[in-house]
Order: sequence, then structure tokens, then C-alpha cells
Amino acid sequence: MNCTVRVASPLRSYTGGAQAVQAQGATVAELLADLERRHPGMRFRMIDEQGRIRPHIRLFAGSREIRDLSERMDGERVLHLICALSGG
Amino acid sequence: MSLSPAELARYSRHLLLGEVGAAGQERLRAARVLVVGAGGLGSPAALYLAASGIGTLGVVDCDVVEVSNLQRQVLFDTQDVGRAKADAAREHLVALNPQISVVAHALELKAANVAELVHQYDVVVDGCDRVATRYLVNDACVIFAKPLVSAAIYRFEGQAMTYVPGRGPCYRCLFPDVGAGVTPSCAEAGVLGVLPGVLGAIQATEAIKIILGIGELLIGRLLTYDALAMRFGDFAFARRPDCAVCGDHPDICAPRDSVARGAAVPPGVRRLAPAELAAMRGEPGQQAEPVQLVDVREPHEFAAGHLARALSIPLGQIERRVAELARDATIVFVCRTGARSAQAAAIAARHGVPRIAQLEGGLLAFAAAIDSSLRVL
Repeated sequence: MNCTVRVASPLRSYTGGAQAVQAQGATVAELLADLERRHPGMRFRMIDEQGRIRPHIRLFAGSREIRDLSERMDGERVLHLICALSGG
Repeated sequence: MSLSPAELARYSRHLLLGEVGAAGQERLRAARVLVVGAGGLGSPAALYLAASGIGTLGVVDCDVVEVSNLQRQVLFDTQDVGRAKADAAREHLVALNPQISVVAHALELKAANVAELVHQYDVVVDGCDRVATRYLVNDACVIFAKPLVSAAIYRFEGQAMTYVPGRGPCYRCLFPDVGAGVTPSCAEAGVLGVLPGVLGAIQATEAIKIILGIGELLIGRLLTYDALAMRFGDFAFARRPDCAVCGDHPDICAPRDSVARGAAVPPGVRRLAPAELAAMRGEPGQQAEPVQLVDVREPHEFAAGHLARALSIPLGQIERRVAELARDATIVFVCRTGARSAQAAAIAARHGVPRIAQLEGGLLAFAAAIDSSLRVL
């Protein structure tokens, strides 16, 4: 399934500045693997060595929060990558 | 006490709203709101809260006004440069609305003083620019059961959420732990001047709604704003039973200062003090060991000032440009504070780069200890 991935600003250095990119996959894990193929290094900024979502990153399939990478997109066409911000 | 003729005149547009009216305006007058940080977010938030007639407004900030603040911190003017922000803020807010009381807290918020401060107020609006303060304020509001409106900004993007005790998740439920340096500050990454105006106004709106008891709040919702795409997002998130402060078995039962935690430096990566790096660099051809300096800051930071012979590879490009790293030299990663270079070192280590070092404290420390002519944004 082709999905649009909306990329948080702190991760856009991996996408050449693009706010949204395309990726293929039925599950979040597959989408992130495809993202990594297209934008090397991006997955490591979101997922740690143990395969856990890093604590400053949140993933949403549409408006549904993803807690487990094996979760399916279930027809949702947009994956949002949200990154904690700290500026004030 | 009913509203005075001067108050009736000043707040006439509020009084026309059924959701506010005279009773609501009296509630605003009786309310006490603490604004943490008189920066990009705190400026518009405090201005709107003052204009709206919040009876007591506290402003906490330990910094002084710098000329680079004026691009977005609309609470100040050019004559304020060099003044304590809390004092300058108080002066401007009272000038805007002499009918309210403004309290300047020119101090750094710490575990030792946060309880006393938060206890004095009904609602907290957090617009600070430090990760440690963000968690300290969140934890204090959970522990002392105070509503909190939190927001943060970065370049062209902002986020906001509201915590109300007993009604939803806190900031730690959303982001359990964010190490310092993982998310760059405005000073490191830049920010569109008008961006905090949008988020600060949202914070003021939420605070006023909390006081009036009207509308739907951002409880359990992360509001995101992307100024470039001109797109708002609204993401639901739930309370975590394992949250360290609001969970079922909290670890944090009293406010505590966070230990600054940057990205972990992997084993085998040398951490260099500024003097060690200076000695290693030496003069070309006279180096004790071959060294390749790699500056992982963004291009605009590099352009403003960098160490001679440094190669510029922004952190986001390290992974795909790892082949450019010499295998016959010690790779020394440098950045502004040492946070990004630690992440770059971790990436290089994963790719098997044999000799890796990282400048502890970053170029800020190097400029302070070795080369004061080095310009570091």
C-alpha cells in the first residue's frame, strides 16, 4: 500500500527538506523499512537498537497513535512522524 | 465585587459574549496565571492574558533581553535590550492593562523553588525553551494538581497541549523522556518570528477557557501547526499507566531537577576537552595523529564560523555520507553543544568507523576556552 508520510521538521534533513514523502507498506514496520531505503538513516532517528519508538518520537496512522510497529495501517493513507520540540 | 465602570468599558467586547459576560470577566479578574518563560511563546501569551483582564499574572524568566529576541518576542522593544526580561515584561504588561497585577519572578525555575511558585497560581502557561524546565513544570503541575498549557516551537513548526488534573494525560505521557540536545532549541535551529505568535495565542486561549470553564480543551490532544504547509494537526493520545509522574505507580513524587542528558556516546568514542582537541589539531603536517574534523551543524551555522579544515556534514546527512569519513584518521565530530556530535559518533560507530572522537561541550566550550574569535550561532 502506498502511503504519504508527513515528516516532522527535525527529520526533514533526511528527506531533502520535503514535508511529505511516499512510502510503501501494509504495516508501520514495513513503511519505516521502505522509508529507510529511500532516506538512509531516517529510521535510526526514530527507532532505537531494540526496535522501540524513541521517547521523543510519536507515530500516528491518521489520528491513531501507533504503539507497536507491527500495527497495520488498516486503510489509513497517512503516517505522521511527530517529534518533540523544545523551543520557546 | 462587580465590575467597575472602567472595567465595563475595557472589557465590553467580552461582556457581549454569552460565554464570558460579567460573571466570566469577574472570574478572569480573580484568576492567577503563571507564564513560564518570557520568550517567543510567553510574549504573546502574556500580552493576551493581560489584555483579557487576568487579575494576577506572574512572569518567570531569569534571562535578559537580547537584540536577537526582538524578531519574535513582541513583549519587548529595542530600549529593553540588556534589561531583565521579567522586569521589562512587567512594565509593558502593566502599561497595556493597569487594572491587573503583574508579578515579575526574575529567577531560574528549579526543583527547589517551583513548588512555592506554582502554589501561588491557578493555571500555568509554559513557554520555556529548556527541556529540563519543561519536565520540571509538567511534574510540578501534576504533583500539585494545577492545570498546565504547554507549547513548543522549532523553525516553522509548533505544538500545544493542555493538562488538567484528573482529566487526561500529561506531557510525560506524550514524550516520556527527551534528552537535552535531542531536540534543538531556537538558538540552534532558528525559528520563524511569527510562529510563536500563533502558538502563544493558542496557549492564552486555552488558559482563558480553563478559567471560564468553556469550550473543548486540548486535553489528551496534541495540536500541531506547520507554518510552511499551513496545516494544523490534532492527534489524540492517552494517559500512560506507566507514566513516571501521573501513572499508577509514579516514580516522581516531588519536583526534581533533570540531569542534563545528551545522546549516549558509545563505548570506544573518545570525548575530547577543548584543550585536547586544540593539541590534536596542531598545525598541518605537525599533527601527533591524523585527524579529520567533521562539523555536524546545519549549513548556516557552519557558514557563520567554523574551525579551519573542518568538513561540513550536517547530522541528518551523516548516514548517507559515511563513506566520506577517513578510515586512516581519527574522526572528530563537533557541533554547538556536543549533543549532535554524540549522535553523529553513534552513527559512525554503527558503520564501523575505527577511530571516533567527539568534542565535549561543543564549539561553545571551544570558543570559551581556546578561541574567542570563533563565532558560534
